[in-house]
Amino acid sequence: METVNALVQGFASAITVGNLLWCFVGCALGTAVGVLPGIGPAVAVAMLLPITAKVDVTASMIFFAGIYYGAMYGGSTTSILLNTPGETATMVTAMEGNKMAKSGRAGAALATAAIGSFVAGTIATVIVTLFAPWVADFAVKLGPPEYFMLMVLAFTTVSAVLGKSTLRGMTALFLGLAIGCIGLDQISGQPRYTMGKAELMDGIEIVLVAVGLFAVAEVMYAALFEGRTVESQNRMSKVHMTGRDWKRSVPAWLRGTAIGTPFGCIPAGGTEIPTFLSYATEKKLAKPENLEEFGKTGAIEGVAGPEAANNATVTAALIPLLTLGIPTSNTTAILLGAFQNYGIQPGPQLFTTSAALVWALIASLYIGNLMLLVLNLPMVGLWVKLLKIPKPQLYAGILIFATVGAYGMRQSAFDLFLLYAIGVLGVLMRRFDFPTAPVVVGMILGPLAEAQMRNAVSIGEGSFAVFVQRPMSLTLIIIVLAVLILPRVMKRRAAKLAAG
Amino acid sequence: MTQQALNPWPQTLVGAGVLLIGLALAAGALAIPGDAGYGGVGPNFLPWAVAVVLTLCGAWIVWEARTGGFRQMDEPSGDAAYWPAFIWVSAGLLANAALITAIGFILSCTLCYVLAVQGLRRAAGQAGANSPRAWATDVFTGAVISAPVYWMFTQFLGINLPGLTSTGWL
Repeated sequence: METVNALVQGFASAITVGNLLWCFVGCALGTAVGVLPGIGPAVAVAMLLPITAKVDVTASMIFFAGIYYGAMYGGSTTSILLNTPGETATMVTAMEGNKMAKSGRAGAALATAAIGSFVAGTIATVIVTLFAPWVADFAVKLGPPEYFMLMVLAFTTVSAVLGKSTLRGMTALFLGLAIGCIGLDQISGQPRYTMGKAELMDGIEIVLVAVGLFAVAEVMYAALFEGRTVESQNRMSKVHMTGRDWKRSVPAWLRGTAIGTPFGCIPAGGTEIPTFLSYATEKKLAKPENLEEFGKTGAIEGVAGPEAANNATVTAALIPLLTLGIPTSNTTAILLGAFQNYGIQPGPQLFTTSAALVWALIASLYIGNLMLLVLNLPMVGLWVKLLKIPKPQLYAGILIFATVGAYGMRQSAFDLFLLYAIGVLGVLMRRFDFPTAPVVVGMILGPLAEAQMRNAVSIGEGSFAVFVQRPMSLTLIIIVLAVLILPRVMKRRAAKLAAG
Repeated sequence: MTQQALNPWPQTLVGAGVLLIGLALAAGALAIPGDAGYGGVGPNFLPWAVAVVLTLCGAWIVWEARTGGFRQMDEPSGDAAYWPAFIWVSAGLLANAALITAIGFILSCTLCYVLAVQGLRRAAGQAGANSPRAWATDVFTGAVISAPVYWMFTQFLGINLPGLTSTGWL
């Protein structure tokens, strides 16, 4: 009952003209950046972080949240219509969606993606509504050792995703931690790695790292390596689903939501695993007559399931962000940065100290999902036109917005040189297949984790044994080790089985 | 891993770079006092941990590069590097950084846009990139993007961006 009251209050503050407008602009902008290649929600939010200096906290968080999940809707449009070689983020949707589009069913694929995103987003928001206050109540009881281990868990899962090189993930994570060290130490006030430069005393802004790694690096990479890459676009067809499409999509949406939501709730990053799991499930459960379509003419459940799983994960990821203050992706890391700009630290206290803000934000998720359904179903043709912007102009234009974000934050031309250097670093990372998300998560979460660790060790009177003496923290250590070791053991066993 | 088989040096250099960053961080960590106060962990603990891990990672990457190349490596997308485009884009970004406070956001960003778009046009192999018409279009487009962005952020959102004049419009 308490939750319902709080949610009603939340709706009351989200349905003001101003906040509705912010929500709408956020959703529209999110869809646009999702559709446009070369720029994603993390960069879009990062570039707009300077507005936190002027805009009211509720309005700007509603705005950023709109960009955050709007981009998920827009992203599927691009992956269905554009045959982009080597795009991994929405790979699973692209597998079947592209095939459907090629066989003249682009409209049905777009429809199932949009409606599935809406269904999954709404169900996951209900789960956030019911579940987040409960997690917050529980999280209040956690002490610094448990928090530290939760953050270590987040670090581990972000940098050691299945099948990818753990070595390069770790390298990226520790680069992020190193960047996070720059500036004044928050506990002792000692300057670290400032090299006597006043500009480095406050540390390096998250905007710079995110915009440098994602936007500037993307532009440089396109200029260096991808100038001659030719993309072809699939033909649009009428956005419409037949009765048979509905019958096949609805169960896939629900299964996708059921798979995606738990993955978002735990502080373990990435949408790759839930979307792949959902795809595998749909393929396994498909009726023989539908199974033939997988990988050939395109099976609609192969789009519906993963899209729903993706949106459910992304929405549910707000639970660890809001209740524990632990981001599990690039974009949530930057949202955490936005909260910090207002002097608000997400965590269990957020639901008591900033209840009005949290509930307005959650209410706006319901409203935003509805807006996005309208923006993406009848108006999808409008967004498709964005794909016509020629690449040179699009990428060069991105640099102008990058400048606004990087310069607007601190009004320092020094930051623009730093932006360039980070962009070059991003190109190297991309060329040599280093993941970039761990850098951003490490940089944002690093200082928080360090503070928790130092507090924990002082609780243990100077001894690190405190981490294994407390049952909850010990459990988390075991989970972290399992995440690191189990996939390897299983791989080895699978290889052995295959061999003999 | 065909590229790697031909030439192990780029990957080796990347590993060496990581190794050097690790060592540089260790050198920097020497300058941070370790006074831990009440806890057992001082402000130099994390820097040392990061320095040690990055140095080890660097060494490991070098080892991978020398013994058959990076493991679990996705082939990077795109073709061979086209350096002229990179130089154009770099020139745009660096000119922007150097000039923004002197000539203001609109002019500086227009310049950055023009240089970058010229580089990208060349990368795409557009024959007419150097024609006066393309240059004129690019200058016009750059200004048409930069100016409204400047006005929107300075006038409506109250963010300070440098102008050539103090009118807030240029």
